Amino acid sequence: MYSQMNGPQKRLSKDAVKVWIISETITSIIGFITLGIFLYLDYRFSWKEWIGWILKGLLLISVLSAVWSWIKSFLLYKSWRYDVSEEFLQLKSGVLYEKHQLVPMTKIQSVATNQGPVLRKYGLCSVSIETIASAHAIPALPKQTAIELRNQIAHYAKIKEVEP
Amino acid sequence: MIPAKRYHPLLMLFGLWSLLKNNFFIFIFLFVIKARSQSPFIIYGRILFFIVFGVAFIYIFLKWFAHKYELDGRSFHLYKGIFIKSERTIPFSKIQNVNRHTSLFHRLFKVTSISFETGMTGEEAAVKFEVVSQLESLRMEQHITSEVNDNAMNLSPSEMVVAKVDSIRIIHFKPMKKDILNASFTSLSFLVFIPLLLSFYSKIDEILHVEKETAGIFFYIISSWWIVTTIVVVLIMASVAFGIARAFIKYGKYEISSDRNRIYITKGVIDETAFSIAKEKVQAIEIKQSILKRLLGLAEVKLTCAGSLSFGEETLEINSLYPFLPVQRAYEMVSEILPTYEVTPKMKRLPKKSLWVRLFSPSWIWVITTAVLFYFRPAVLGVEQAWWIVSAALLLMIIAIRWLDFIHTKYILNNRFIQYKTGSLTTSLFISKREKVIEVKVTRTIFQKWLGLASIETINRAKPLQHNGIEDVPVEFADSFYKWYMGRRNEIEIE
Repeated sequence: MYSQMNGPQKRLSKDAVKVWIISETITSIIGFITLGIFLYLDYRFSWKEWIGWILKGLLLISVLSAVWSWIKSFLLYKSWRYDVSEEFLQLKSGVLYEKHQLVPMTKIQSVATNQGPVLRKYGLCSVSIETIASAHAIPALPKQTAIELRNQIAHYAKIKEVEP
Repeated sequence: MIPAKRYHPLLMLFGLWSLLKNNFFIFIFLFVIKARSQSPFIIYGRILFFIVFGVAFIYIFLKWFAHKYELDGRSFHLYKGIFIKSERTIPFSKIQNVNRHTSLFHRLFKVTSISFETGMTGEEAAVKFEVVSQLESLRMEQHITSEVNDNAMNLSPSEMVVAKVDSIRIIHFKPMKKDILNASFTSLSFLVFIPLLLSFYSKIDEILHVEKETAGIFFYIISSWWIVTTIVVVLIMASVAFGIARAFIKYGKYEISSDRNRIYITKGVIDETAFSIAKEKVQAIEIKQSILKRLLGLAEVKLTCAGSLSFGEETLEINSLYPFLPVQRAYEMVSEILPTYEVTPKMKRLPKKSLWVRLFSPSWIWVITTAVLFYFRPAVLGVEQAWWIVSAALLLMIIAIRWLDFIHTKYILNNRFIQYKTGSLTTSLFISKREKVIEVKVTRTIFQKWLGLASIETINRAKPLQHNGIEDVPVEFADSFYKWYMGRRNEIEIE
C-alpha cells in the first residue's frame, strides 16, 4: 500500500496505550468478578456438571482475551494513522487486520469530540465523524489537537458538492 | 407553478378503505369471536374501539380539509396539520426518483398514486400522493423535471427548440412475443401451477371431503394408461399456459424509454407501476445473471438509485430494466440510455494465489455441519456411513462454489469508472462512476499481507446502502484503487 501516494502520517497521543489498557483492564475485572460469582454459586449449590464446564471454558477465554487486549493496545497504537486534507479524511489502523479508509470531506455530515472518564484523566479526547454511509472515530488525541481537528474537519465539510 | 390546493377527494374514500381493512380483524375479534363475552376487557375494548374508530373516521375528513400542497418553480410545499399547522418544503433537486403505482382500486376510479422519493432516511423521505388524478400526476412529474419552467417566458426561440428536443422520448424496449416466452421459461413460472393446483385441491378437500368419496375413482383412473397420459398432457399444457399468462401479466406491458434527461420504466398489465429517474441521479448499474440466464444468454440490468423503491409496504422491483434481456441488447441499452457510462468489455482476472486463499479459508458452514453430523451420525436411507458422505459432498460443493467465484471475479478501473464482476452461481457486474462512490475502504488480513493481496470495498448511495467489493486483489491494484478514488477531485463540482 501507499507506493503511489502518501499514506496518512499523524499519530494518536502516546497515552492512548495507557488509556486502552486501563479501560480494557476495568472491563476484564468486571468480567472476572461476574464469572467468579457464578463459579462460587456453581460450587455452593452444586449446579449441573456441564454448567461448570462452560464456566471454566469462559474463564479460559476471558483470560486469553484479557492478555490479548493488552497486546492489542500496543499494536493498535503502533499502527493507527490519520490525516486530513481539504478533500479527504484518511484513516488507517490494525496490524493483523489492516484497515484503510478514504472519506471525502464533502460527504461528512457531523463531527464531534467526546471524552470519557479515562480519557479525561490523561487530558485526551476522541473525535467521531459521521457520514451518510458510516461512522468513524479517531480515539485518544490530546484535547487541543482534537478540538482543532474537529474544527478543521467541520470547516472542510461545510463545502458541499453540487448534487446533479 | 401549481397553486396551493387540496388533495384529490377520492383520498377520503381511500382512507376509509384502509381504515376498514386495518380494523377488520379487531372488529371480528371483539364482535364475532367474543360476541358473548361479558369480560370487562372485551366490553371496555368495544367502547375503546368505537372511540378510536370514530376519531379516525372524522380525522380522515378533517385531514382532507386541512392538508394542501403547492408546487412552485423549485420546490414542493406541503401544508399539514389540523390544530398544529406545519409547512414542509422539499426542493425538486433533492428528488432522486419518481415511483408511480396504479392498483386495481386506482384503475376503477381512473386515478393513480405517485411518490417523489428523496434519498433521506425516515418517515418523511418522500412526497407521496396516495390518490391523484392521472393528469395531475403527469403534470407534476413534468413540472419537477423541466428545469426551464421558471424562466420559460424569457427563452429565445433556439432555446425553446432545445427544450423540445429534450423532451422527445425514445422507446428502447418493448417485449415481443418471443421475449415473453423467454421470460416465462426463465422465471420458471410454469412450475408454480402444480403446487397451486394442489393447494387449491386441499382447500376444497377440507370443505367437501372429496378424497373420501372419490377414492374409488382414483384407482379406476390409474388402471387405465391412456387416461393417465391424457391427464399428464393436459396438466403440462395447462402449466405452460399458466406460466405464459403469469409472465404476460408480470412482464407483458414493459416499456423502457428515455428522453435527454430521464429514464422511464413502466410495467404491469393489471397493477401498473412506473418508475422514472434523472440520468445523472443513477448511482450505479448492476447487470445480473443467474445460471439459467447465463445458459440462455439473458441478463438483467438494474439501476441503483438513492431513493426508496418500495411503495408503502410492498417492494417493487421497479428499478430493473427488463429482467430477461439478451446480453448483447442489455449492453447496448446501457450505452443508449446512459451515454455517459462506458462499459469496458475486457477486465482483469484475479491472480492464482487468490484462488488458494479462497480454497483454504475455513468454511464455518462445513465445519459446523460436519461437527453436528459427526455427533449424531444419522443414517440417511438406511446408509450408516451417510454422515461422512454428506459432509464430503458439502465440502465438494463449497469448493466448486469458491472455484466458480474465482473464475467469475474480474475487475478494472477505467478512467472515471470502476467495474467489477463477482458471484459464483448468480454473477453480478457492477459499474459506477467515481463521483458516485461515497466512500472507499481497503482491508488486509495477515494472510493477505503475506501473499501481497488486499480486499477493496466501495460504498454507493442506495436504500439500503450498497456495499460492493472484491476480495484478494493484488495489493498494487488496491493501491491504484486508492489513488483512483483520490482523483475524484477532478470531477466533483463544489457549490
